[in-house]
Amino acid sequence: MRVLVVEDEKKTASFIRKALQAENFAVDVTHNGDDALALASTTPFDGIVLDIMLPGRDGLGVLKQLRARKNTTPVLLLSARGEVNERVEGLNAGADDYLPKPFALAELVARVRALTRRSGESKSTVLRVADLTLDTISHRAQRGGKEIELTAREYRLLEFLMRSAGRLCGRMMILEKVWDYHFDPGTNLVDVYVRRLREKIDADFEPKLLHTVRGSGYVMKETP
Amino acid sequence: MTIRTRLSLWYATIMFISLLVMGVLTYEQFAPEPDRPAKKQAADKEDFQEALANILWCGIPAALLALAGGWFLMRRALTPVAALTAAAGQVNESNLRRQLPRSGNGDELDRLTEVFNAMTARLDGSFQRVREFTLHASHELKTPLTIMHGELETELRDEKLAAAQREQRVSQLDEVQRLSKIVDGLTLLTKADAGQVQLVAEPVRLDEVVRETFADAQILAEPRGVKVELTACEELTVRGDRHRLRQLLLNLADNAIKYNAPRGDVKLALRHAGDAAEFTIANTGAGIPPELLPKVFDRFFRGDASHNAEVDGCGLGLSIAQWIVSAHGGSIRIASAPAISTIVTVRLPLEAAGKTP
Repeated sequence: MRVLVVEDEKKTASFIRKALQAENFAVDVTHNGDDALALASTTPFDGIVLDIMLPGRDGLGVLKQLRARKNTTPVLLLSARGEVNERVEGLNAGADDYLPKPFALAELVARVRALTRRSGESKSTVLRVADLTLDTISHRAQRGGKEIELTAREYRLLEFLMRSAGRLCGRMMILEKVWDYHFDPGTNLVDVYVRRLREKIDADFEPKLLHTVRGSGYVMKETP
Repeated sequence: MTIRTRLSLWYATIMFISLLVMGVLTYEQFAPEPDRPAKKQAADKEDFQEALANILWCGIPAALLALAGGWFLMRRALTPVAALTAAAGQVNESNLRRQLPRSGNGDELDRLTEVFNAMTARLDGSFQRVREFTLHASHELKTPLTIMHGELETELRDEKLAAAQREQRVSQLDEVQRLSKIVDGLTLLTKADAGQVQLVAEPVRLDEVVRETFADAQILAEPRGVKVELTACEELTVRGDRHRLRQLLLNLADNAIKYNAPRGDVKLALRHAGDAAEFTIANTGAGIPPELLPKVFDRFFRGDASHNAEVDGCGLGLSIAQWIVSAHGGSIRIASAPAISTIVTVRLPLEAAGKTP
């Protein structure tokens, strides 16, 4: 998987590159919009991380130009302005996702991963992690043969975590997918729900499946 | 005493004195002279009395007429001052751009209005600059915060990091996240002040939002042993931004839970009240002393110091709540009986009333 990172702030570009490389992505970095356009039209990328505020041609300009040239590479927009309207504007211009700054690195990595394997998502109706299963049609969860009662919200949370099994899920992404919040509502809703879910699926069982990565988010996996 | 009364009194006094002067002069002119022949003296006396009668019968009505006219003139002249006073009384930071209407006739009051308008325009400029400054400051803060967040996370990914150092990095990361929340809140409010946040205006079933908030509130309350009840939930539709309304209710519910006594109660209710939907949320916390009540919607108001230590948050929640309510054309009130209960009441105009936010 090859990703282009377009970010004029050198330090930010540097840790984004490190984080993505750690996840086995091949990463190219440019610091301005015109170079980004030139690179994107000669090299096939699996995804582009595009900052909106760039010197010269800005991120939205690059995106519009790309789409006008029938380039369909998935694009994740980054923005320091963080307006609700800007998110909609970006998606309308053809972006696939939008992440306001400051963001958690885990959040960015998870989104880039989702972006680049968008088509390859599991279509199975029964999700499975170790001996925990979730039927996405009947909404029934079982662990070790024991039925687990879930509220509607807990079900959505568990489904999201299980679909992303093995991958770190940031709070923002959970809020977005499970609660449909596109901004931080300023509560510890996610943490409280995860704690409850953990009591239901992990308290009486071994091994523990739902792990906290402090400062970043949560991950569902068999081995810690 | 108003200027009008004072001027009218002065005017009346001057009229009265003039009348007196006329009387005295007439007396001087026509008073009978003792050294004239008796026959002439009788004629003089007649003239004198006639003149006095003339002064009385014509002078007094004339004086009264002048008084009424003066009253009327002053009223006319001073009405623009009353209008100016009323308009100036309504000026606040959100309507500084509104200019007072000028008569355009170039008189003193027109001049005053002009100067007044110029003053509010200068004030508007100052407010504008403060807002732009805050906005720029929050944008500028986001880049270093992104870098700090990213670098701390990168460090935390290193499995060789010693436990003590890891603890320290996690704590730093918490603070960076708190700063980010403050910056986000500040950006939102500053943009809202400048009218740069556009809200969606679509029909929203408020009862659905309330039920959703109720479900989340129950979960949030559980670790604190707080009991949450939904006492009423009428089917009501308002016009507005669904996401912002969810944010509003969740924020209020979160506060009601956080600032509650352990094992306390939180009661939510949504009722129809006239042409508005009325949402109330009551809790049984320590409450807010009456002298602090007017300040709870102020930015960065955090109550007493004990709250700061045990409850996290950025101190902008209620300011944001107030903005959301007013952007929907509604009102928010808070009433508190310390140590008994605190009730927040939100009223939002109903969709059926045909009002738009």
